[in-house]
Amino acid sequence: MNVIEIQDLSFAYEKEPVLEHINLTVEEKDFLAIIGPNGGGKSTLLKLMLGINKAKEGSIKILGKDPKDSLREIGYVPQNTNVNTDFPIKVIEVVLMGHVDGKRPLFGYGKDEIACAMGALEQVGMQEYAQTKIGSLSGGQRQRVMIARALCAHPKILILDEPTSSIDITGQRDIYELLKVLNAHITVIVVSHDISVILEYANKAAHVNKTLSYHDISDKNSTFHTHGNDGHFCEIELLQMLGSESCNSCEEEQPQWRLKP
Amino acid sequence: MIEALQFDFMQHALLAGILVSFAAGIIGSLIVVNRMVFLAGGIAHTSYGGIGLAVYFGLPIFLGASLFAVGAALLIAALTLKKRHRMDTFIGLIWAVGMAIGVIFVDLTPGYNVDLMSYLFGSILAVSTSDIYFMVALLIVILFIVTLRYRDILAVSYDSEYAGLRGVNVRFFYTLILILSALTVVIAIKVVGLILVIAMLTIPVYIAESLSKSLLSMMFISGTIATLFTLVGLWFSYTYDLTSGASIILVSALSLGLFLLINKKVNS
Repeated sequence: MNVIEIQDLSFAYEKEPVLEHINLTVEEKDFLAIIGPNGGGKSTLLKLMLGINKAKEGSIKILGKDPKDSLREIGYVPQNTNVNTDFPIKVIEVVLMGHVDGKRPLFGYGKDEIACAMGALEQVGMQEYAQTKIGSLSGGQRQRVMIARALCAHPKILILDEPTSSIDITGQRDIYELLKVLNAHITVIVVSHDISVILEYANKAAHVNKTLSYHDISDKNSTFHTHGNDGHFCEIELLQMLGSESCNSCEEEQPQWRLKP
Repeated sequence: MIEALQFDFMQHALLAGILVSFAAGIIGSLIVVNRMVFLAGGIAHTSYGGIGLAVYFGLPIFLGASLFAVGAALLIAALTLKKRHRMDTFIGLIWAVGMAIGVIFVDLTPGYNVDLMSYLFGSILAVSTSDIYFMVALLIVILFIVTLRYRDILAVSYDSEYAGLRGVNVRFFYTLILILSALTVVIAIKVVGLILVIAMLTIPVYIAESLSKSLLSMMFISGTIATLFTLVGLWFSYTYDLTSGASIILVSALSLGLFLLINKKVNS
């Protein structure tokens, strides 16, 4: 089943086009990595999926509906969760923000809402921090809380914008391991710069730089030429490969660009 | 101090001090977490324009100042939501233009020389019964809104982009916070004056921030601390015959210094 269908989508903030003729289909339980250079339109594409920006041309459907009508279906984890750390707010209160307007008590939060938020915290392994002030957590822990907030409304799709940009290497792995577990039930879309890590977890990759090129990378060995036995991919090679429509460019690539010859 | 309580004006002063302190604690918390301190300063000074107009047209001062301050808040809200990067320029403009309007209209008022100083630095000993009613009404409105819409206000203050994605009307609550700030500033002018109001809205909040785990407890703690400062300041003012608004602010500032010192000792 297709959870996201984008057809011939173009977008421009003013005159200069940011995205042109984008086609993308995301299937249920995909783990899609959206990569590409800064200013290439990754975040814009994300904002279009979330309904923050409106498409000028083409169509975008989330589970068959307009993005504006599918807030409930998407869990979103924004970039830069390290801002505003002085704010006096408990972890559980942050997670409770994830609920979409519905039936709510006169003041405070409903019992079912709190139970649901605790469940989300348990999913990310942060339940013991429920009453802790958010500012006293580490970057990785805070990111888990933001994922719990996104899971709070039981979304079918989880979208993360640069989820590991301010986390140390071990923390990054932990976050991706968590996403892998969550991916058993929901579709995961990650915008990221850490391509060498993300491509180990993703099964689909989309390289966005005004246009989009799409790759099924579920079979890693046949898709990538790994170097030696360490199984690592060379980042520049990867980017070039994904940026082009076919894999042939690998052979023509200039040798001095390689990180690991 | 106790014998002073038999006077009506002293009872009014105490009551006004407590009411305004609690309103300032709650709204000051919202102003600080939303990084609107400069904005609140702009609204405070602009409201002098409303005072001038009220004097000229013979309207109640509170009414004139409130309407003018709310108007300024709406203008600032509209500008902020459109051109965020120009915010500081607009606030500076509104700040000065409001005061200028006030001064000119007081000049134009025949035969009446309003005491500018009492609005700049407060006149808590001249609080009337109707002023008290106004303060009670505003505090009730603030408590009502903050209790019933706590989660929306919290969501907008903490992460407005995300709140918007969850279906919260961010513009509405942002504007609402500004309007409540404007009204709180107007009642606080009576107690500490429009120049000193910023200190009253921020010092207790700054102390409360490090003592609180949630916005709700921050509001409550700020309100309590602000009340304490106001009462101690009033006592100084009465005992040593000093200006009340300035006494309250200096008591607050000295306490903040003491608090930071103790906090540093405890942490090291």
